[in-house]
Amino acid sequence: MVNLEFNEDQIDALKEFINISIGAATASLANLLDAFGTMHIPKIEVCNSSELAHKIESTIDLKSMYYATKQLFTGKFGGECMFVISEVSAKNLGRHLYNVTTPSRDDINDAVIELTNILTSTIVSRLTQELNTQVQFFVPSSQFIDAYSIVSSEDVADYSKIIIISTILDFKDQKINGNIYILTKDEAIESLRVLIDRKIEEIYG
Amino acid sequence: MKREFQLKILVVDDSKIGRMSVIKSLDIVKPDADIFQAVNGLEAVEIFKKERPDVVFLDLTMPVMDGYEALKQIMAIDKKAQVIVVSADIQNEAKLRVLAVGAKNMYPKPINDEVILQIFKQDLSV
Amino acid sequence: MIALKYPDILLDSLENGHMIIDDKFIVSYWNRWLSINTQIPKGEIIGKSLKEFYPGINYKVLYRKIRTALVINTPTFYDTNSSTKFISMNRNKVTTSSLKLMQQQVTISPYILHENKVMVSIYDISELFEAKLLLKKEIAKVIRLNDKLEAEKEIIDKNIMMIKTSLSGVIIDVSTLFCQFFESQKDNLIGKNILIFKSPDIPEATYKELWETIKSKKSWSGELKNKTSNGVEKWVQTRVTPILDEYGELSEFSAVYHDITNEKLLAQLYITDPLTKLYNRAHFDEVINFIVKHQRKADVGFALVIADVDYFKSINDTYGHQVGDEALVSVANSLKNSLRENDLVARWGGEEFVIMLKNVTLDEAKMIMEKVRESVQKIKINDTISVTASFGLTKYIIGEDANKTFKRVDEALYEAKNSGRNRVVIK
Repeated sequence: MVNLEFNEDQIDALKEFINISIGAATASLANLLDAFGTMHIPKIEVCNSSELAHKIESTIDLKSMYYATKQLFTGKFGGECMFVISEVSAKNLGRHLYNVTTPSRDDINDAVIELTNILTSTIVSRLTQELNTQVQFFVPSSQFIDAYSIVSSEDVADYSKIIIISTILDFKDQKINGNIYILTKDEAIESLRVLIDRKIEEIYG
Repeated sequence: MKREFQLKILVVDDSKIGRMSVIKSLDIVKPDADIFQAVNGLEAVEIFKKERPDVVFLDLTMPVMDGYEALKQIMAIDKKAQVIVVSADIQNEAKLRVLAVGAKNMYPKPINDEVILQIFKQDLSV
Repeated sequence: MIALKYPDILLDSLENGHMIIDDKFIVSYWNRWLSINTQIPKGEIIGKSLKEFYPGINYKVLYRKIRTALVINTPTFYDTNSSTKFISMNRNKVTTSSLKLMQQQVTISPYILHENKVMVSIYDISELFEAKLLLKKEIAKVIRLNDKLEAEKEIIDKNIMMIKTSLSGVIIDVSTLFCQFFESQKDNLIGKNILIFKSPDIPEATYKELWETIKSKKSWSGELKNKTSNGVEKWVQTRVTPILDEYGELSEFSAVYHDITNEKLLAQLYITDPLTKLYNRAHFDEVINFIVKHQRKADVGFALVIADVDYFKSINDTYGHQVGDEALVSVANSLKNSLRENDLVARWGGEEFVIMLKNVTLDEAKMIMEKVRESVQKIKINDTISVTASFGLTKYIIGEDANKTFKRVDEALYEAKNSGRNRVVIK
């Protein structure tokens, strides 16, 4: 049985990696979505998959509707990246990307998928870069749902740890608040820990 | 030959491994330096006032007071301060912003000893 | 790795669309599937811009996706749920479905980075889409049916007493009405064995018959007596049904109860003497008449006894009616306790009792009645007042009229009274 707990130093290192990945993601987004994005300090948390539903509910407005986009990635480091963004933020995004005042549901879906795709690919690629593993990304799928339906127990059953990245993306005057949840399986966590320990070893000596 | 002065370097980053990463590289390039650490911008400014380090390695995204604000205050205390920004934010605009305030240069994380060497050669005068 | 010799033949054989375009939308490859499904032969489009053939595509979006694929070196996608984002195509399969437009999954993969070339792949997912729609419809149907079922279950639960047990009798489920009837909480019943309801007043034979019947996968109906958790006795008409699994083997038992307590109580009242709680004369008459009428071998071997409390009038006059009643009750109990379970004891009237000893010889009957006489003799009301009884005994003669038997036993009793009382006389 794999020990899936991270100690303080490991969490510190993981946060640093994610910080760097978010930096890369923000740069990609700014580049590709054609706007300067201010990178805010992402708030990073590692929790167990059983706590995910609770965590999500405690950080969002339960009365709003959300776009929840999921993108699966497989390989030795396998898992799922979920991006949750409020209807308001999604509309802003759609407006910006499609250059229309009232983006259609289809436009917004597509915009959210693009954003998720860029975020997932950049973050996961950066994290796995030094793991020397291949990652395959699958088609993202987006759902427009209420706060309570964002995650169900079947969704998280196969996963062990969730890395929660709360971030605010400022594009021009359009604030786009979103939360990124990286759902990982045991094997991925193990690979990650090996990498982190190696880095810690390198640096602390 | 006895060194005339001890090089003082302030390393600022809210992440422990972030600080250690810089410090480790510094150890190779400038092993005799006196290293000070700060975990946020506020602490950085306080230590800068007190110790007047020769070089500051500054992260941008930090709690309490971010690197950008700390940079402004440090430059206000000493307009000749030598600050190198090391950040996860790699956008060009970010670099322009910090250079405009007075940083000597900005580098993406993670930094290594080669980069440190280059920094001391090209960006700093110590 | 072996270099493919004729890669274009390979790509042409695939059942998906593949094209290669650059960031200026110039097409440099167009496979066979595309030619067939767009009706644009590759000779016509290669070297030209996609814009010439599909001006309706949002090229700003397409450009962004192409750039993203090239910059972060990873595939990008069009959302599968909107079918008209890229190239609109009709379904090529003959189908009765109303879905005429092809549902597509469009993937844009980086191809040659330094030439800004990407491969755009189109996958026909119409059938998948249809299956999804159908599934959604079926699920909605199931939910509707389920809701209806739930509503009906509610009705049954509140109006019918139902109990379900495992094969060993462990209670698995009970309806709300059942709980109310038995004055118990559902939690207190589930997990207990149904034997907690077994009543000593129901002969073992009945339970045996029940068990044997349902064990052989047949339903059993009958009357049972149960006690609620507050000790109240209830009569129920029961139907127990065995439930079989998909292999036809026993898996559970289900029983439905119907409260017949009131009918039973009424019936009992009808045949019971209120003071002594023995059967009354009407009931005894019914029984003896039945036996005499049908003359069944198992029934006609009985002996008839009349018992009369000695000096009853005197007891009443001396000590009062309450003591008199007590004496009657004590005698009744004494009779009941001294006789066998099968024997029938009834209050004949006033201070007289009638007994039917089943399947006895005269000698046996004599022995039994002597014992009974002795036990009556032991009675002491309020520790001071003695009570005795006189007994007339006769054996039923097969075939004879009940009146004749009664006449004979009356004569025996008369003799018992006249020869000193507190004795058994046989005629």
